[in-house]
Amino acid sequence: MSSTTMTAPARAAVLRHRAVRKLLLLAAVAAVLVPLADARWGSGSWPHALTVSLDGPLKSTSTWIIDNRDSHWLFLYFFGHISGAIITAIHAVYVVLLALGWAGVTAGAALLAWRAAGVRAAVTALLSFAVCGALGMWVPTMRTLALMIVAVAASVAVGALLGLAAGLSDRVFRGLRPVLDTMQALPAFAYLLPVVLVFGIGVAPAVLATVVYAAPPMARLTALGLRGTDPGVLEAVDSLGATARQRLLTARLPLARRELLLGVNQTIMMALSMAVIASVIGADGLGDRVYQALSTVDVGSALAAGIPIVLLAIVFDRTTAGTRQGRTPPRSAWAVLAAATAVVAVAGRLLGSQSWPDGWTVAIAAPVNTAKDWMVDHLYSGLPGIGGTADWAAHYTGWVLDPLRSGLQGLPWWAALLIVAALAWLIGTWRTALTAVLSLALIGVLGRWDASMDTLSQVLAAVAVTLVLGFAVAVAAARSPRVERLLRPVLDVCQTMPQFVYLIPVVALFGVGRAPGAAAAIVYALPAVVRIVSQGLRQVNPGALESARSLGATGGQQLRQVQFPLARPELLLAVNQAVVLVLSVVIIAGLVGGGALGYDVVFGLAQGDLATGLVAGVAIACLGLMLDRVTQPTKGVRDGNA
Amino acid sequence: MATRKIVTAVAALGLLATATGCGAADMTKQGSPYANAAGAKTVTLSVQSWVGARANAAVAQYLLEHELGYRVDTVQVDEVPAWDALSQGRVDAILEDWGHPDQEKRYVDDKRTVAPGGDLGVTGHIGWWVPKYFADAHPDVLDWHNLDKYASQLRTAESGGKGQLLDGSPSYVTNDKALVKNLNLNYQVVFAGSEAAQITQIKQFAKEKRPFLTYWYEPQWLFNEVPMVEVKLPEYTDACAAKGAKDPSTIDCAYPTSQLKKFLNTNFAKKGGKAADFLRKFHWTKADQNEVAQMIAEDKLPADEAAKRWVQRHPDVWRGWLPR
Amino acid sequence: MATDGPQPTDRVSDGALAAADAPSGPPVFAVRNLWKVFGPKATRIPGTELAELSPEALREQTGCTVAVRDVSFDVRPGECFVVMGLSGSGKSTLVRCLTRLIEPTSGAIAIDGEDVRGMDKSALRNLRRHRAAMVFQHFGLLPHRTVLDNVAYGLEIQGVGKAERRARAAEMVEKVGLAGMEGRRPSQLSGGQQQRVGLARALAADPEVLLFDEPFSALDPLIRRDMQEEVVRLNREEGRTMVFITHDLSEALRVGHRIALMRGGRVVQCGTPEEIVGSPADDYVRDFVRDVPREQVLSVRRAMRPLGDAHEAESGPALHPATTVAEAIETVARTGGPARVVEGERCLGVVDFKSLLRVVAGLGTGGRTEEKAAA
Repeated sequence: MSSTTMTAPARAAVLRHRAVRKLLLLAAVAAVLVPLADARWGSGSWPHALTVSLDGPLKSTSTWIIDNRDSHWLFLYFFGHISGAIITAIHAVYVVLLALGWAGVTAGAALLAWRAAGVRAAVTALLSFAVCGALGMWVPTMRTLALMIVAVAASVAVGALLGLAAGLSDRVFRGLRPVLDTMQALPAFAYLLPVVLVFGIGVAPAVLATVVYAAPPMARLTALGLRGTDPGVLEAVDSLGATARQRLLTARLPLARRELLLGVNQTIMMALSMAVIASVIGADGLGDRVYQALSTVDVGSALAAGIPIVLLAIVFDRTTAGTRQGRTPPRSAWAVLAAATAVVAVAGRLLGSQSWPDGWTVAIAAPVNTAKDWMVDHLYSGLPGIGGTADWAAHYTGWVLDPLRSGLQGLPWWAALLIVAALAWLIGTWRTALTAVLSLALIGVLGRWDASMDTLSQVLAAVAVTLVLGFAVAVAAARSPRVERLLRPVLDVCQTMPQFVYLIPVVALFGVGRAPGAAAAIVYALPAVVRIVSQGLRQVNPGALESARSLGATGGQQLRQVQFPLARPELLLAVNQAVVLVLSVVIIAGLVGGGALGYDVVFGLAQGDLATGLVAGVAIACLGLMLDRVTQPTKGVRDGNA
Repeated sequence: MATRKIVTAVAALGLLATATGCGAADMTKQGSPYANAAGAKTVTLSVQSWVGARANAAVAQYLLEHELGYRVDTVQVDEVPAWDALSQGRVDAILEDWGHPDQEKRYVDDKRTVAPGGDLGVTGHIGWWVPKYFADAHPDVLDWHNLDKYASQLRTAESGGKGQLLDGSPSYVTNDKALVKNLNLNYQVVFAGSEAAQITQIKQFAKEKRPFLTYWYEPQWLFNEVPMVEVKLPEYTDACAAKGAKDPSTIDCAYPTSQLKKFLNTNFAKKGGKAADFLRKFHWTKADQNEVAQMIAEDKLPADEAAKRWVQRHPDVWRGWLPR
Repeated sequence: MATDGPQPTDRVSDGALAAADAPSGPPVFAVRNLWKVFGPKATRIPGTELAELSPEALREQTGCTVAVRDVSFDVRPGECFVVMGLSGSGKSTLVRCLTRLIEPTSGAIAIDGEDVRGMDKSALRNLRRHRAAMVFQHFGLLPHRTVLDNVAYGLEIQGVGKAERRARAAEMVEKVGLAGMEGRRPSQLSGGQQQRVGLARALAADPEVLLFDEPFSALDPLIRRDMQEEVVRLNREEGRTMVFITHDLSEALRVGHRIALMRGGRVVQCGTPEEIVGSPADDYVRDFVRDVPREQVLSVRRAMRPLGDAHEAESGPALHPATTVAEAIETVARTGGPARVVEGERCLGVVDFKSLLRVVAGLGTGGRTEEKAAA
């Protein structure tokens, strides 16, 4: 209450005051504990005495699982049914898709998009599926589609149920929220190993990993939507004597429609990205094609499989995002839709084959490869003056990454803990600080301190570059709608294109090592940063801008003194997102020589050495959690006020 | 209300029970959901990430589809997980295995879920290699004793002050870290993380005519494009291998030369009919494999196109593989 | 400080309203010693010395806030009972306690003699469905439903069949003057129209009591006036009992038979508009009603002086005691002489220029105000 009446400078003074208090307290604690810790365990990297090796137990667990997978009841009666159900479901969907044939699927998708989101979405769907066919990717596309349909349905169901529970019960919400927050900060790669441990390699574990990865946004948005229902409406509903069920079905759920649809939309996007990454553990379809193409450094073929992924993402996005308008088509429309699809499917089958006709394909692989080679040739050794990518990579590695890494690894372990505690506490609450410190400590306990510091140095450097580039582009985009319009499709593609597609070509430009990972990470994280920042800048209260202009502020002054301060929450969110996204790619960059934790996971997957992989996965999760908490300022405060 | 709830619950449970068959579900017997979907019998082949393996799979796939009327799925899985997948029947065959004694013991001898499928006909060899242009200029680099002399020339940003020994995919069998340590070399092992990244890097070095030292193996098509010469490491001995089997960090000798082998899922081997028969007989030479691999990797032909060309050129080789 | 309030013996006739008899009969709502305390372990507060602390001290000590403090009143059938107060006075909490949208901390509430606090879930639901309907400041409409479906919503909840509830809803829509807009969504309506939908929804269940929570505060002044007249019409013509919450004094005076004025959770005065304006209970109320056009609220009963002589009892126009001062001024100005206040056959007193002007000037007729004015 009182904070609303406080003036801005007064609040800033209190904040500063509080910050000073926190730091003093922390310093006092440190003054007591650090000498003790130093005397007991020394001041280098994480003390060996404090580590616990899980290799033995994990190895025996993994062996036990492999030996008992076909005999133990846990697998026969529980996990077996899960994986059996998934396989049955995918098989059923796949058979239906095959039966519809290319004509039926294309027509059905277009009609569905039309009903749900209008003509534009329908045309998008039609063209997209046609392109998928024309690229010769029809069958893999159908496989990915089948997997996606099952995975998204499961994610939405699981997420909605969790969200419902959290939306209706405060206890569940309080318990679930940190879990969901944490899951959202974890790199996709970290999810692969646990499911592989239990289910082995194959489609079922891939779907499970996808569901685990994609359900949280649905749960989160469902809960938020249900909780955010206008209390006035709910009160009115109560005042009419509605039962709890009537209240939920007639008021809360319909009113949360926007969030529910947004949740479905996000779930689809996450599921798609995971479905691609899960090709590492045997998800078939487009992801596998990309992965296979890359093993021969065939960027053209990888792109041919990557484009359908982007197109699927666009179709899914436009179709579900368009539904946000409150249109409820009559029920008969769906019957008409199904009938029309069936007619087209039958017609298609009568006319020709089920699969996309062979003659109608375009081979883009060769020209793309030529173009890529040309680009590499010209960029590698570089242009006079600015140098080539090889030089950049060498400088980035030698002047930025190496000092940063040796700095972090040379930092006394207790100092690292203190810094993290101070940062997290300053921006957040003591809870976030505690979480962050415990996460970092767990990394040390697991014996992955040095590798994590290596990964951390890569993340920090790439985040810095991403933010500098992102803010620059975002400022330009926020100022000129033209730039924004031009950027939008590029950003869309960058965000949905599987990282695998460009991860390998960047090796040609930057050489094996940590630099290509950084480049890929920047490409991947940049769109989100640009989008969040430019949106934040544009949303700044026009009144404030107008008054600044009326006082004669220059463009730069407006930006510095009005737009940036007012868009602070978005800017901080952008930093947080940049950290999370960069981390996810830096991990995947283990595939191109990024080393550190990412390599351990890749190694664990490749060698079936789940002990190494799982421990690295946990370390990654901890690192992600720590970074998220250190960069997530407003959450605690916002909750306090709400 | 209450009765309705109970009825619903019972109905749901009943449905669940019927849907799940109310019994055990052995996930190790669950195949790919995409198998047998199009009404044809399907064979699923494991394709490892390197191109030689893709060449095997491509030719096998082509012949299975065009000569024997099967549908073939290929799944890319790393070597060790592929054993697990093979044992579970998620893939039916591995066509090129570089020797995994642990897995062999577990699945072939103990669990009997995997059956040997005979030799592929190709021998594999792992070693350290330098490009030919470099070896020509400095012939003494071919002895490991002299490697330290060239360490400074082989430095990169990633290797710090030492020379760079480029390693590849984490799935490959490698003792390089132990070798560098035990041979006391001034080198840093840099893991490319994947073979694709390693090949890209090698090609880029070759284009620049820069020297490099890399972990590599043959048969490999890349030799046709970037000629490389092997560096002589301390000779492989059984004693050294035995020592290494106990503690891998003590290895101080070269890699062995091994017969590449095929493995089939036991069930498939028994009931796979002509396909299993065919895969058992599949047997070709290093030159054959390289021919196909080269077309795939270098000429960027689609795998099935490369297989088709090879099949057209060498009917004498593959005729014998078909079951009579 | 129980404030049952004086009996509404007199009825003020506001210019806008048709005169009506003062409602009487057994109370619809009877509220006794009602408390609502927000915060942890709220039940320990009412009736103890803790309750006597200042709000700040109480919050500091216990973390609790008292929203409604020992309130008692009756709402009689056919009456429009207004609860007025500034924001934070507890009036909105009070009205929600009546149907337990907010659970009271202590005290008793009865509807038609039936204990509301003792009701179980289904009885309470029944109460909300059939006996007391509420209209909200921010309408509380369901944005995804049409006007018709919003109005029918209460009936739907009661389980009324589709055809019937739609027919009844259509009737209500017609009644509140929204005919032709049945198919629109709330977002396509103006604020006034939305509140008409809210009103129709409340009316659709044909409740015994209508509860209004600042229903017109969010509306433009002109529309507010229209809506107030609509409410008055409903009250006077259909005789529907109402509890009306507002922070607007003129609105309270316009629609209310009786007004309870709240401050800090207490009812500081409860009475007819004339009593509130004419005899404020304390300085707070006096301050509150200072700017009221008194001549339109006060009646000649308050303005008259005793008969001077017999002559006065005979001559001059006769006025009913409930006539407002404003009307009396008109009469007096037209005739030029004093007017008699006559009830039945008896002449109660006389009003002349001087006595009427004293009312307009706010000097009052009571001795206390006169002394003050003299000093």
